[in-house]
Amino acid sequence: MGPLDRNNKNTLLEIWKKVRKDHLFPEIADPEFKEGDEAVGLDIKDKRIRISKEFVERMSERVPVESLFEGLLDHAVSHYLFCPWDLTNHIRLYREAKKILKSRDLAKRATDLFMDVVADTTCVSQKETPIPHIYRSADKNEVQSAIYALYQKIWEVDLGVQGHEEVSRKLSRLPYMDRSKWLESIKRFSRIIAPLLKKELNTQSMQNPGPMGSHSISSYSEEEIHKALREIASEVKGPSEFSDLVSDFEKDLKEGLGEKEASMGLGPGRSLDADILYYMKLAERYMLPVKKIPMKRSGSLYPHHHSPWEVGKPFQDIDPWTSFGKLMPGITQTWIRKEGEIFGNEERIPDCIIIIDSSGSMPDPKRHLSYAVLGAACACDAYLRSDAQVAVYNFSDAGAGGKRILPFSKKRKDIYRAICHYFGGGTRLMVEHIESLQNSQIPDIFLITDMQITNLETLIEYFNECKNRVTAVHIGKSRQVETFRQSLQIRKNVSIFAVEKKEDIPKIVLGKVKEYIVHQ
Amino acid sequence: MKNPFFHFKSVPIKKKELPLNRIVKEKQEIMQSLIDSYIKLVEQEARDLVWLVEQSRVVRAYEYALKSIENLNYGQDDIEEFCAEMDSSQKIPYIISGPSGIFISALINRCSDDKIVLRVEDFQRTFHFLGYRLPEGKSLILQGDVGDFIGAGLSGGYLFVEGCAGNWLGAGMINGKIFVKEHVGQKTGEWMRGGEIHVDGQIQSIGRHRFGGRIFRHGKLVIPQDIKRDLWGR
Repeated sequence: MGPLDRNNKNTLLEIWKKVRKDHLFPEIADPEFKEGDEAVGLDIKDKRIRISKEFVERMSERVPVESLFEGLLDHAVSHYLFCPWDLTNHIRLYREAKKILKSRDLAKRATDLFMDVVADTTCVSQKETPIPHIYRSADKNEVQSAIYALYQKIWEVDLGVQGHEEVSRKLSRLPYMDRSKWLESIKRFSRIIAPLLKKELNTQSMQNPGPMGSHSISSYSEEEIHKALREIASEVKGPSEFSDLVSDFEKDLKEGLGEKEASMGLGPGRSLDADILYYMKLAERYMLPVKKIPMKRSGSLYPHHHSPWEVGKPFQDIDPWTSFGKLMPGITQTWIRKEGEIFGNEERIPDCIIIIDSSGSMPDPKRHLSYAVLGAACACDAYLRSDAQVAVYNFSDAGAGGKRILPFSKKRKDIYRAICHYFGGGTRLMVEHIESLQNSQIPDIFLITDMQITNLETLIEYFNECKNRVTAVHIGKSRQVETFRQSLQIRKNVSIFAVEKKEDIPKIVLGKVKEYIVHQ
Repeated sequence: MKNPFFHFKSVPIKKKELPLNRIVKEKQEIMQSLIDSYIKLVEQEARDLVWLVEQSRVVRAYEYALKSIENLNYGQDDIEEFCAEMDSSQKIPYIISGPSGIFISALINRCSDDKIVLRVEDFQRTFHFLGYRLPEGKSLILQGDVGDFIGAGLSGGYLFVEGCAGNWLGAGMINGKIFVKEHVGQKTGEWMRGGEIHVDGQIQSIGRHRFGGRIFRHGKLVIPQDIKRDLWGR
């Protein structure tokens, strides 16, 4: 824009004031210019609107700069205020589109177009906006022409487009402004527009998304990305669907989350561990409570019992309350102190050993939702949130090498990786492996299995002797489960929970004991 | 004291009435009428608890369907969307596959559009009885695989199936043409009285009781011909 730069910047800020006011003051930072594409006017990154200088320069010959700014800003704000509103909605729409179109590129394009139609239509219905002027003057490929033909029909404006009668007629019947029907509408939208999108993909013209640009995950904030992943993890049918969705957005997610997330299964430079991420995000939705235990020990002398005071005994231990205020041998009472351990008031959460069964009788966590892995992930999340450490003993046929032992750690990704590992095969654990993870702090033990362990008696024997607080979770019911329950029901430090469905997981209380246990 | 809501005073709140609202409203009204008519048909047909494919029942259901939609004004888009509603919506509480196909056929036959295209491949449900009594001057194009009794009682119309068809294709058809791009099931052309069936794929079996009409496979006449049972030339 050269010499007009400063003026244009001022104009942009003036227009921005008006746009904000028209849209009831949304919480969005001031827009800025960027060096960009001639064909794409808008880019939103981390909730900041960026307007392409080159686009404005080129389009200002056809549309007044003020209208251009207002239209672009109206469009951007409408996305923020109406559709998609947040990343969860964006991914939900994409998910429905992909069910119909079966292709990542086509589904992304259909989602972008649908969101544009909803946002623009809502904006046009609510205020006088120059969006139609921009569309009228913009270059258009076939898909864009079809969408503009739709706008002509549903906005009753002339955008200088002819043809696409059938497509625009069919598209005009969708209730774009009805948020509750978006998921149904995008399916129909995708079906109608599919032939045009396929044609566009074949002619490589998809690289030109139109004057308003395309929608990338990097336009959302980090918190929004985490929230969306949590919500989507609980909505999808299982880890494989989540994995498909996340891998479709892998590049965008990495960009959006940056290097900070290297420890969260999402870091740059390596492929995304979608299955780990799935359980991680799902576990964040269940906040399992962990019972605290008093941990601070004291070894000093403490008053234990009374004995009559005699002449020659020190005065400082006299208990005036039981001596009736008198100093007389035989009547005056003195405290006898004893050395011993007591617990102080400070409470904390101990570390935890997670024992997880990944034998053949358990589902593969990468293919199906595994309650064992989800339960273990929830337990892990609860302990890590409390600043405790977690060790993992993942076993199938441990004697034959089917085991994975992770020493105490706070590295979330390593822990989740150890939990999510699936062996298949037989089920036999070695108590020596659990013993090797024990330490003087007496960590909690969290066991999750279907109890179909060939040497279950050894485990029961071990739990009968150990002093750890044990939370045992069994998946489903069986004869072995009954044996386990009956054998350990008198143990006060062992609590047993059953998980048969996802809703049972929040009922687990970690470190629950039937009676307070005194460590001696 | 300055009014804290001062800035909000000048905000224009007027909403523009877009043509979209009118189009969607009209569509929803038509769709509701179609759904109501269909539910009435199902209530009528569900009285006997079990719906069996019998000539008298099919005829009765079709006539009832025609009567229930006689005052409705709808188009091809409405039929397509009605099928989509049947496929996935919660608005239609129960679907009986026979009457639902007959109802759609009645909609097609009474529709003002002469050429109707249904993308059945988009639906998870398999529709039966599509093209039932399709009259002369109408073309029905079914994109995708379809169920049984497709084009049954065809009465002069043109039916194109761009996929596979199930059993009893063209059962009792009187006149018209059926084209199937892929395979068809058993008893093709059973009780056929006239018209033509053209199949580009395999024919699992041809109906034994026929009173006329011709069946072609890969453009070659198969029936009537002295080929007894073997359709593959063995």
